[in-house]
Amino acid sequence: MPYIADLEKAGIPTVLVDFEDQESMVKQEALVNGMPHVRYVHASRTIPGPADVDRILKDIIDGLVRPLTPDEKKAGEYYPPQPRVIFEGTYDEAHEFFSRTQYVPRPLYAPVSVYTDGLPIVLPTEERVAAMLKGTSHRPEEMITYQSDRVVGFGGEVKKRDLVRFQPLKRTATVEKVATIAVMSGCRPEYLPVVLAIAESGCPTGTTVYNNQWMCASGPIVKEIGMNAGCGMLGPGNPANSTIGRAYQLMAVNLGGAVPGINRMSSIGSPVNRGGMCFAEYEEGLPPGWKGLNEEHGYNKTDSVVMVMGTEGGMDGAQFSPGGYRALQKSGHGGIARRLGVKGQPGPHNFLDYVLPGVWAGGREGARTFIMVHEMARHLYELGFKSKDEVYEYIWKKGLEPLSEYRKRSWVDLTTNGWMGKEPISGKPWKDLPDDYMVSVAGARPNQNCIIVCGSDEEVCVQMTGGPRGGWGAFSPVYSVDAWR
Amino acid sequence: MAEDKKYKFLNPVGTYMPVKTFPLAPRLDRLDGKEIWISITGEPDFTIPLERRLKMDYPNVNWKVKKTYWFVQDPLTDEEMKTADGLIQGICW
Repeated sequence: MPYIADLEKAGIPTVLVDFEDQESMVKQEALVNGMPHVRYVHASRTIPGPADVDRILKDIIDGLVRPLTPDEKKAGEYYPPQPRVIFEGTYDEAHEFFSRTQYVPRPLYAPVSVYTDGLPIVLPTEERVAAMLKGTSHRPEEMITYQSDRVVGFGGEVKKRDLVRFQPLKRTATVEKVATIAVMSGCRPEYLPVVLAIAESGCPTGTTVYNNQWMCASGPIVKEIGMNAGCGMLGPGNPANSTIGRAYQLMAVNLGGAVPGINRMSSIGSPVNRGGMCFAEYEEGLPPGWKGLNEEHGYNKTDSVVMVMGTEGGMDGAQFSPGGYRALQKSGHGGIARRLGVKGQPGPHNFLDYVLPGVWAGGREGARTFIMVHEMARHLYELGFKSKDEVYEYIWKKGLEPLSEYRKRSWVDLTTNGWMGKEPISGKPWKDLPDDYMVSVAGARPNQNCIIVCGSDEEVCVQMTGGPRGGWGAFSPVYSVDAWR
Repeated sequence: MAEDKKYKFLNPVGTYMPVKTFPLAPRLDRLDGKEIWISITGEPDFTIPLERRLKMDYPNVNWKVKKTYWFVQDPLTDEEMKTADGLIQGICW
């Protein structure tokens, strides 16, 4: 939309073709980009293209030639009132106020909470917010800005001290607003630096498909605030994990203005986002020489960081039959040993050979974040993988397949720009490559994949679609917690 | 706490920076002889017949095309903007 607004400002009339269910989003985007009356026509999601063109061609042309209405000729300013105190009253009255919903018509036909994730909140009195602010040295009125130069979504570059704009409405926030939301989420003051670091991400909510927003803390902060890096760390129960994860979602709602069906268009949503998901890396479980997330991203071992991920795709896992994994590694018994052809041979064996063939089944191409228990990481180390990078290289090579197969996938039409672009490894045009050219489905580079070691004991490895070092958005999604202490 | 005690509750909603709003560009008085860009962003099932029909039904327009599969447009250059009379964008916003 910024592009369309720029064209209109330059005197070039435009018409957009979108989908009907995206009308509210288009209107909002048009407004926050200063062009509230942009003309658009709805294409159909179901009518075949030629018939759909027949249906709306005249409307498209009409958008270019129909004279402007008086409203379309108006200039002005959009700057709604924004009081610091949003409500005064008793707790019961405030509970009612913060429980308000708005009805969202197509494509929801259901109410959505205005200020919350649908669950009750801790009411943000001035006193509670003041207590929360003791968790940081930053002043309440300080604006949330980037604490370092970085690349953000879709290759955009920002500089240290640039204002963070929360998507989709491009709003801004002060430290006090983030503290207000930390209160609402149930956070304790000592969690606030993590929440502020997460705020630096702008808390995007993804596109129309299946976006999961999740976070992983790394470094001393994990123990300082009692995060769960062990059994059940992705699930409920730990106050820090749960409330910090929730804070992301409440920031998306309140700072970004994200509303399902209006501008948060993830088609069926994701359960990862319902309660918010934050967990922690188990530093002690890293095999010798394996870097934690902080060191992998240029920080020191003693630095506290949080990785903020918005991954388009699902979560799948390898859960072995009770004892099956252990039988493989202890004595080469069981089905996995038979599959790997190591029956009767004591381990360590490479469980990745068992897991990986199914990881990139249709529709699942791209880098992965592997969340694995420390014992499984240790087995990889004992097999000779002396660094995470060596594992990434192995995974990436396992993902190689002939171009003739690669062409049959879905996302590749997009990531190759309709095969008009160049293949990144060879530098040659995609269209010039032979059918037997080998392409990895495991990301453009090995280290786009990621391993997070957790501290539980039952042998499980979970794969999250996407990795933190590349992919579509070229994100650099690791934020310093220490910068916000 | 007394149930009837009143408190002030802080506003969690993000702050809008002032947004200047602008009028739309004047529309075209005719199509013939105009240079109009078709800015294609994916959805080939729709955009391929759209391009074909525009060129067939409006042959006196100087149609030009920018094409990407990406959902971020391939923008007009400054030079191209100097002579562009209009633009149709689809399918995205």
